[in-house]
Amino acid sequence: MNLHSVVNGIARHRVASALLFLLIFPLLMPYEALAINILIYGLFAVGFNLVFGYTGMLSFGHASFLGVGSYLTGIAMVHFGVHWIPAIFVGVLASLVAGLFVGYLAIRTRGIYFSMVTLALGQVIYYAFYKAERWTGGENGLRGVNAEVIDLFGLRIDFLNPLTKYYIIWLFVALALWLVSRILASPFGSVIESIRENEKRTVACGYDVARAKLLIFVISAGICGLAGALRALHLSVVPVDSLHYLQSGQVVMMALLGGMGSFFGPFVGAGVFLYFEDIATNVTKYWMGAVGLLFMALILFFPRGIWGSLMYQLKQRGMLQGDRE
Amino acid sequence: MLDITPSLFMLQLMTGIALGAVYALLAIGLSLIFGMLTVVNFAHGAFFMVGAFLGVYFLALTGSFWLSLVIAPLVVGAIGLLAERFLVRPLYGRGIDYPLLLTFGLSYVLIDVVRAVFGIEGLPSSTPASLRGAVDLGFGHFPLYRLFLIGATAVVVLALWLFLEKTRYGLIIRAGSRDSEIVRVLGVDIAKVWWLVFGLGTAIAGLSGVLAAPTRAVNPEMGIHVLAEAFVVTVVGGMGSLPGAVVAGLLVGVVFSMTALLAPAYAEMSIFVLMALVLLVRPQGFFGKAGALG
Amino acid sequence: MMPSPLIEVRNVSLHYGRFKALSNVSVSFAPNQLTAIIGPNGAGKSTFFNVLSGALAPTTGQVLFEGQDITSMQAHDYARHGIAKSFQITNVFKQLSVHENVRVAAQMRYSRYELFKPRASFKQAIEEADALLGRVGLLALRNKTVADLAHGQQRSLEIAMALAAKPKLLLMDEPTAGMSPEETSAMMELITALAKERTVVLVEHKMKLVMGICERLIVLHHGEFLAQGTADDIRNNDEVRRVYLGQG
Repeated sequence: MNLHSVVNGIARHRVASALLFLLIFPLLMPYEALAINILIYGLFAVGFNLVFGYTGMLSFGHASFLGVGSYLTGIAMVHFGVHWIPAIFVGVLASLVAGLFVGYLAIRTRGIYFSMVTLALGQVIYYAFYKAERWTGGENGLRGVNAEVIDLFGLRIDFLNPLTKYYIIWLFVALALWLVSRILASPFGSVIESIRENEKRTVACGYDVARAKLLIFVISAGICGLAGALRALHLSVVPVDSLHYLQSGQVVMMALLGGMGSFFGPFVGAGVFLYFEDIATNVTKYWMGAVGLLFMALILFFPRGIWGSLMYQLKQRGMLQGDRE
Repeated sequence: MLDITPSLFMLQLMTGIALGAVYALLAIGLSLIFGMLTVVNFAHGAFFMVGAFLGVYFLALTGSFWLSLVIAPLVVGAIGLLAERFLVRPLYGRGIDYPLLLTFGLSYVLIDVVRAVFGIEGLPSSTPASLRGAVDLGFGHFPLYRLFLIGATAVVVLALWLFLEKTRYGLIIRAGSRDSEIVRVLGVDIAKVWWLVFGLGTAIAGLSGVLAAPTRAVNPEMGIHVLAEAFVVTVVGGMGSLPGAVVAGLLVGVVFSMTALLAPAYAEMSIFVLMALVLLVRPQGFFGKAGALG
Repeated sequence: MMPSPLIEVRNVSLHYGRFKALSNVSVSFAPNQLTAIIGPNGAGKSTFFNVLSGALAPTTGQVLFEGQDITSMQAHDYARHGIAKSFQITNVFKQLSVHENVRVAAQMRYSRYELFKPRASFKQAIEEADALLGRVGLLALRNKTVADLAHGQQRSLEIAMALAAKPKLLLMDEPTAGMSPEETSAMMELITALAKERTVVLVEHKMKLVMGICERLIVLHHGEFLAQGTADDIRNNDEVRRVYLGQG
């Protein structure tokens, strides 16, 4: 048993490895709330990466799906008294619909235009939720998304306990990561990678690229919506800025920081970003500028991101086979 | 319910045109940079904001609005030149998303630098003394400053048109935006052209900021929403098209202000709905080239 | 009796403003024939090829495949209908492996939207890909990244990908462009073999090559149909000689 076989073993069972790591993760973090945030935003980044890293579409409106998931879960619970599990389903469903709406309009455009259009469409959703004060609380956000005591298979679990909260959320993230992994390994997964590599060629092979793009976009929206639903439960509020394009920009940064086109990269990116933000906000009030500088340095000097660079180095040294990351 | 008289309608229309003038200038800058460098400048809103701050600052410093109107855009343009040379240029040839992402990071830095220099509250801005008051347009009294804004924009657009159509350098820019290879082959230093165009585009953004400052709150966040609005204008008008930027800018300004009058709750959303409609019917925008996308 | 054509072009014209790239061209292609489109530079060969392959829409006229009007068919439907092409400028997935390139092309016929089963379980696509690689002589390079391949090898890869769609009609735009003499004769052999199983239409400007192997030649000139026939017919055709030799 040498390093080479260990590395390849981990790569082959990437979902299990990731989930195992995430099981012990809270023990590595200074406080649980940060670990929970990283778990949620990690999922958000993984969902976003389906569209960006794997298909090559730079969307600047993905916060809409996080936000829609958060708001609809919250609205179901606060205004309709729905139980938290079906409420999560409502949130995910709503984000799938939002994904269809944005995707259908945005995919009519290409490349650089796509980024601008997704940003602007995201703002439509932002303003719509902002104005619907009666349902969303407007400027103040939606409050009272409380799931204090969770009934899980007859057990009463204290959701307010941070560690418990972490592991409940871990269950959902585990399910989502498993799904994402299946999709990426499927024939459809190879189609979207082909689109990123060479769209014209993919069309010539006989694939309906527009439809494939729309499908992955909707799936991505759903995953981000799930992250949003979990975030609503975690924070007990849904801040209106969840939907703003700056939040979309943040997940772009996370995905790049970790490394696009890799399975676990976005998680690493989310983790590093939030950890950095945690430190930076304590050190300086100009953390936005610090983040901007970090991001520019990343783009200029480390476009593969942290995890991506690591994967690249391993591949170069022959420690890692082919396209499993 | 507000009584909408014809004169109120007309005045609101004029307000929309004044707003549209600012949008047109912004979109022109964006389109110039995109048309020439194929870069979407995500820091465009931030440059607008810096222009507004510098405009107010130089007005306070020199006491002359006209002086600040000239100096502030030049300083913004200089920042743009620095940014292109050291931050954007290394990324050419890497992939179309990289310069976009870099300018996004740049916008974050610009916002915090402004906060550090001018404070987080922003600066108070008021109409310059020589342009205060209102003008009787026949259907009502309209602020002189906004008329000036419309006029100033028209002058800038005309000057730009003359520059692009009638001068040798303008010809290089127009040719280069269609085919940089040809221009390179003709011995033109294309890197320099791109550098200057970026500076010009950001300077125009700064200029629109200086002009807009008296009409809105000047704070470090003012460029954030403006960026999204500028994108709407360029999508509606057609990316890389200067006439498109002007027409779409005015249209978007009018749509916003008329919706603010007739259905105020939907004002902010209205321009994005307009964009969605254009995307459905004509994805390349009014003046855009089909096949440039989709 | 003439076999019914596999693909035909009827009264096709293509105008760019006032410039007529193609004027009223009507040609039909019988099944299992090897045909070449030839003509001097600017004759409209590439334009004609693009109309046949669906890359360009004609201003007027129709394209019919197996009797059906495919003039406005969407680009991605061509492969599904059995029309495959290889591009003039090699267009493959440069960052993927040689095997994966062909596997993705082969996969199309089995699954496009399958989300849950791993692609490794679609054995037919994998086996077909390897078989095709063997046919074009690339099996040994199976795991290499395409960007590391020589130009001629990339061209062969592209043909393997075109064949993966099990096409009835194979369109090839300047297949020997940029190839060494050895590569060129290997390619010509391959094309001759492929033409025995399906209809192949080539665009070539290397006259000698196509004259040797093609059963039928179609000559275009200034966007118009000039002549067609066997290599001998063309060699002895006065108009063709005037057009080619008259140009010095």
